Amino acid sequence: MPLVNFTAREITCKLVYYGPGRCGKTTNLQYIHGRVPEHRRGNMVSLATQSDRTLFFDFLPLELGVISGFTTRFQLYTVPGQVYYNATRRLVLQGADGVVFVVDSQARRFDDNVESFQNLQENLLDQGIDVRQLPLVLQYNKQDLPQDLILNPAELDDAFNFRAVRSQPADALHGTGVFETLKALSGLVLERLAVRPPAS
Amino acid sequence: MRAIEPWVEPPLSAFLAESAARVTLLMTASGQVVAQHGFTRSLDVMAAAALGAGIVASTTELARVMGTATLGNAAHQGAAMGIFLSPFDTPRGRWIALVVYGPETSLGLVQLFFGRLVADLAGAAPPAPKSGPVLAENFEAELNASLRSLFGR
Repeated sequence: MPLVNFTAREITCKLVYYGPGRCGKTTNLQYIHGRVPEHRRGNMVSLATQSDRTLFFDFLPLELGVISGFTTRFQLYTVPGQVYYNATRRLVLQGADGVVFVVDSQARRFDDNVESFQNLQENLLDQGIDVRQLPLVLQYNKQDLPQDLILNPAELDDAFNFRAVRSQPADALHGTGVFETLKALSGLVLERLAVRPPAS
Repeated sequence: MRAIEPWVEPPLSAFLAESAARVTLLMTASGQVVAQHGFTRSLDVMAAAALGAGIVASTTELARVMGTATLGNAAHQGAAMGIFLSPFDTPRGRWIALVVYGPETSLGLVQLFFGRLVADLAGAAPPAPKSGPVLAENFEAELNASLRSLFGR
């Protein structure tokens, strides 16, 4: 659950961007970092290899503003996508309040997406979390590529969206869908802290 | 000093006074800040917590891979200051302390008083409050407005 400071009236949520290598997780954070005013974000921390592949995680803290009287902050993390970094993926996933699973829409990356999605479920299960209980948004990234190279959102929904969660087509490099993805996940995460409407 | 819950403050104040540490950060195992002293920007403290929790998590995992029970504390000594990083158990779960100290004190003193901090926190922790809703039913309008303002839309 998000960390709530009743004394200072603050809420802090940990959101994790997950997906196969080179699907665009870091690109999402870089775009957000570039768009958000400096006083509303911290420095982006990237623990990367010399070739700029994420080694441990990227981290970007955001100050959202006041919601229902609580100053709300998001901590955005990415995991390393490459298969052999599973130990570090598990560590970053600890305590996540919500996950964006970034799908690489290229048809040739389909198997990598499936493997990474299964890996997400396994790593959550290791922590005693059922993927069906965790706020999750699917982002279908690279939808700007030529149509003959990619799977369209309907095809990707068929493959990955068995929970009928929110799915968002995106082109993270140019920012399309990045805002909508973050908005969808933050709504799901904060919903868990909200007063529920009375049952009718 | 800022703390999520007031009961953390007296033990932390005593630790700061006795150890002469410059910066102290208490966080959960997943990198959520519980209390801090010495940082000037709240967003920087979050980055420090993420990195500190990452170090402890990777060290613990390394110990598991090497077949060792635990690697315990970590200390880094620089020319002007040192860093002491240690996971510890509290009645509220596993926390991590990150302490930065200068030449006015020493790693030994920090470790000595850190042991007392851990004991004091264990003694001071009240039962965990029941969690309940904190946001209004219609929080989404404020959330969307905040996100639009954040992204300049």
